[in-house]
Amino acid sequence: MKIRTARYIFKEGFLNAYRNRLMSLASIAIVMASLLIFGTFFLLAANLNSNLETLKEQPEMQVFCYPEMDEAQIANVEDAIKKDARIKEYVMVTKAEAFNKVKNEIFDGKEYLLEDLDESIMPVSFIIKLVNPEDNAAVVEKFKDMTEVENVTYASQAVEVIANITYWVPLISGVLLLALLVVSMFIISNTIKLTVFARRREINIMKYIGATDWFIRWPFIVEGVIIGVIGSAMAFALMWLGYDAVEQKSSLAFAGIGLSIVKLLKFNQVASVIMIIFGVTGAVVGAFGSFISIRKYLKV
Amino acid sequence: MVEFKNVMKRYPNGTVALNGVNIKINKGEFVFIIGSSGSGKSTLLKLIMKEEDPTEGEIVVNGYRVSSMRRKEVPNLRRSLGVVFQDFRLLPNKTVYENVAFAMQVVEALPREIRRQVPMALALVGLSRKANAYPGQLSGGEQQRVALARAIVNSPSLLIADEPTGNLDPETSWEIMRLLGEINQRGTTVIVATHEKSIVDLMKKRVIAINKGIIVRDQQKGLYKDEDKNSPIHI
Repeated sequence: MKIRTARYIFKEGFLNAYRNRLMSLASIAIVMASLLIFGTFFLLAANLNSNLETLKEQPEMQVFCYPEMDEAQIANVEDAIKKDARIKEYVMVTKAEAFNKVKNEIFDGKEYLLEDLDESIMPVSFIIKLVNPEDNAAVVEKFKDMTEVENVTYASQAVEVIANITYWVPLISGVLLLALLVVSMFIISNTIKLTVFARRREINIMKYIGATDWFIRWPFIVEGVIIGVIGSAMAFALMWLGYDAVEQKSSLAFAGIGLSIVKLLKFNQVASVIMIIFGVTGAVVGAFGSFISIRKYLKV
Repeated sequence: MVEFKNVMKRYPNGTVALNGVNIKINKGEFVFIIGSSGSGKSTLLKLIMKEEDPTEGEIVVNGYRVSSMRRKEVPNLRRSLGVVFQDFRLLPNKTVYENVAFAMQVVEALPREIRRQVPMALALVGLSRKANAYPGQLSGGEQQRVALARAIVNSPSLLIADEPTGNLDPETSWEIMRLLGEINQRGTTVIVATHEKSIVDLMKKRVIAINKGIIVRDQQKGLYKDEDKNSPIHI
């Protein structure tokens, strides 16, 4: 393609989108909304996947003693664990180990926040594996009743639920993406149809003068791609802002409900994938939408 | 230049618009296609431009075998043709200059070619002074002259005019015909479909008369009405 032709095509494409700006904006909004919905599901799936493995390695059960317990009281708890026939094996997590874990996993890069604190605030805990998972509830009850024990967490149920979700979410988001793409394409194609209709005389004349089909088609495709790409860029920006806010609050929130090992992905870990998916989807949807709408008018 | 061999055109609704048409138009000729509405003249022109395809027969235009041409090659055929319509078909939001230049942009002409050719075409049709006017500000005759300038700006070897004076008063019509004659003098083959008896009679060019899809007369230096009273069909 000649440079002046490319210039003509881009100029016409932008002009078309501008002349038709109300519909263009509507289409941009639809593309943006569709991609936001899809992006939310996509991020959910990505996070579930990344956390599922950690959760699977999660101990069957973890018994936390009160931080202020002395060694004798802790020995007492350990004794009870040792004597319980339902317990296959156990590991003790010392205060120092617990503190390091928190420091490295939750406050990574922000260790200064812990400067005034030391390991004494952390509880000693026991990670327990049962012989038979069915004894779960009974064992949890037994240790919860001990005066030295502050809390007992167990994750097997959570793992099961999350594994289930992890299986369904990508499927649902795939179907959703497809449906939203069809809707977006339809809306874009309608927008372009307005432009094409407004310019049908011009198209007709161009055909008689001997313009090639692609010469006529390109400006409309550029218009569609502009709509698609602007929509996806806006979706990307919103996704970024929204997700960052959620991600920053998440570690505290998860720690609050005893799921401190659950960690959301940082946005920059998924940014490039999202950008590519959004950009390509926006452009393809836009191009295809306009391709559909101009087909009819090219038959002269 | 233009050759029809046993051409038949039947539209999907069953109407036979042309039947057994054999024509040969040579380079540099000026030809009137005459006939009443629905006689098939428009179909004939559409077949030349490949707006329609023949049902049977073979058509060759400017060396292109139109009847069996691939869609991709159609623009090449159309670039070798200039077309003028009854309803002018100008772009109302472009100036006279832009309307003519548009024809060159579409075929990806060089900008300096456009700057050279467009004023020449406008001068030929006598509209140099109206270059910056919009079609809405022009009379019908002037608009048709813009359309003529647009049709010839790419120097086509064949100019097709479908009732170019259908919307114009007699005086203006004559002006347009005079211009078509001038374009023909410069070497362009011209085919004009028309009803204008007075003009056809005055210009004394080759006349091809069509009636109900059949060529009933093909006469050099002909008149609108057949002089030969013994001819079986009168138009």
